[in-house]
Amino acid sequence: MLDAMPDPKPATKLVQVKDLKMYFPIHTGLLRRHTGDVKAVDGISFDIMEGETLGLVGESGCGKSTVGRALLRLYELTGGSVTIDGDDIAKLGAEALRKKRPTMQMVFQDPQASLNPRMTVAALIGEPLDEHGGMSATEKLARVYELMDAVGLNRNFANRYPHAFSGGQRQRIGIARALALNPKFIVCDEPIAALDVSIQAQVVNLLEDLQEKFGLTYLFISHDLSMVRHIADRVAVMYLGRIAELSPREPLYAEPLHPYAKALLSAVPEPDPEHEAKRRRIILQGDVPSPSNPPKGCNFCTRCPEVIPMCHEVEPDLLEVRPGRFVACHLVKPETKTPAAGSTGRPEVKEHNQQGEPRI
Amino acid sequence: MTDRTIDLKAAKPRNQWWDVWDQFRTHKGALMGMFVLGFILFCTLVGPHLWDIDPKLIDIRARAKGPSMAHPLGTDQLGRDMLARLFSGGRITIAVGMTAMVLSLVLGTFIGVVAGYFRRLDGILMRLTDLFLALPLLPLLLLMVMLFRESLVLSLGPENGVFILIVFAIGITSWMHTARIVRGDVLALKEREFVLASRSIGTPARRMILRHILPNVMSPIMVSATLGVANAVITESALSFLGLGFPPDFPTWGRLLSDGMVYINQNPERVIWPAIALSALVLSINYIGDGLRDALDPRIRGR
Repeated sequence: MLDAMPDPKPATKLVQVKDLKMYFPIHTGLLRRHTGDVKAVDGISFDIMEGETLGLVGESGCGKSTVGRALLRLYELTGGSVTIDGDDIAKLGAEALRKKRPTMQMVFQDPQASLNPRMTVAALIGEPLDEHGGMSATEKLARVYELMDAVGLNRNFANRYPHAFSGGQRQRIGIARALALNPKFIVCDEPIAALDVSIQAQVVNLLEDLQEKFGLTYLFISHDLSMVRHIADRVAVMYLGRIAELSPREPLYAEPLHPYAKALLSAVPEPDPEHEAKRRRIILQGDVPSPSNPPKGCNFCTRCPEVIPMCHEVEPDLLEVRPGRFVACHLVKPETKTPAAGSTGRPEVKEHNQQGEPRI
Repeated sequence: MTDRTIDLKAAKPRNQWWDVWDQFRTHKGALMGMFVLGFILFCTLVGPHLWDIDPKLIDIRARAKGPSMAHPLGTDQLGRDMLARLFSGGRITIAVGMTAMVLSLVLGTFIGVVAGYFRRLDGILMRLTDLFLALPLLPLLLLMVMLFRESLVLSLGPENGVFILIVFAIGITSWMHTARIVRGDVLALKEREFVLASRSIGTPARRMILRHILPNVMSPIMVSATLGVANAVITESALSFLGLGFPPDFPTWGRLLSDGMVYINQNPERVIWPAIALSALVLSINYIGDGLRDALDPRIRGR
């Protein structure tokens, strides 16, 4: 369904996700019988072009990280297919998957937890090379130093242990590990969430520089909307295991179409105090429904401010409503001329228009 | 990058075992323990050559004597030289303690890691562990000794046969606590993010265990090891005391203690010396294990 997407540059699809489902079984009772599933990811589809950064945003627990991990098959998928660089990851055998691993790597959220405390920096960065390289010790060391230079770590640190570094430096070690095997695709699972603001900018800039230098493709998972706006080319907004809206960055931030995307983006603070005073937040009522028992029809129908009776019955499909913009909502009709119902006359939209600097 | 020119040889990361040694040296107790253990080992290995009285030689005229020039630690009720018996008894005791400890440690760590890492085997292996824990150990040991001693002694000789039997019996009955502790730690470690990170690289289970799991469960294994030596030595003493260990004329520290206990009123030094040796051995190993555990942890190292 995404095939018709017009793309300014003739890019190839590096990652194709079709109807990805990731359910975690619930076992209850004395016999631990399978009584239900936590539907962490419930049928999502998207593509990532080569050299592109796709931002994945959503509130905590909506399944963002699960998508990232499922894409690298760190979980066994419940259903659907993930095609990365020509191979369906979901169906590869153990050894073929191991051979495929160098193409796709991951930067983890918590750099403290994702580095083995008993290994030195050189050993940590060299670990992927041990697994896949077949290099001699000298070659490996040269490569480790090269990577340390690439992420801006002093070579003298090679013999130190992770506990001796700051959060930002640890994340650089994590990035160097991910780069070690010359991957094409990197899943950045909230790489900046555990860092303080001054370091966040450094790490994001480093990721951008590396993307330019090595032609990397990112899936950038984050709940920091302004950071996603900075780094991503397209943004997918997730809610309760499904994609609510998938749009190029600028149109999304200027004029979100899905009611959930509107609510989410209305929470981004404005740097200008005058605009900030005028900003009207859409405050959603109630809590996120349990992913083990999602509501019938649209996932968002229990909290949607613009809900209509149809939403409780029919599940909306993710349709292309504007060129390149995909929205899963009954209110947003795929007509290019008339603006989507309920999205006119909203003050927060105007604000975004004023503030949205066209930096493409 | 200004340091791009430095040659790789000079900048080669230092072998981390040097760091371990540096940290180990700062632990006074561990150094002391190493010194004591070295002294005990020297006495038991070289001692019998320097003090070459046969520990089994019965000199009935010199029985139950106190310390003298001819017998520095006195003699027992049959006139056997206590110093010679202490030296040669130490050999057996240390060999039994160490070998049984290694056996139980290897067995316990293996079962613990496999049970913790592979979910499918967890149930079976842990029930097996429970089964062994539920067995009454002493009767089991007695049964094993009764059943297998004869055939082992016949095929391997009295000394080796009993040695293998006792080491095996102690090892097979003392791995359960190590297995349980290791399994618990592995279960927690397995969910840590660095294991996931390593999985995303494509590390197979075997190397995952060797590279990530085992180094991180080193601390509880070390503690088990130090306790295991003490446990093995004491079990061996108990078996010897019951007359089911080594032959009666064969000195081990446990047997020296139990023999001397009857004469504790007349010759208290017959109990004191083996007891001191045994305590020094166990204590020094405990301290070495303590120092080693600290030295192997990079977070503690360098403080």
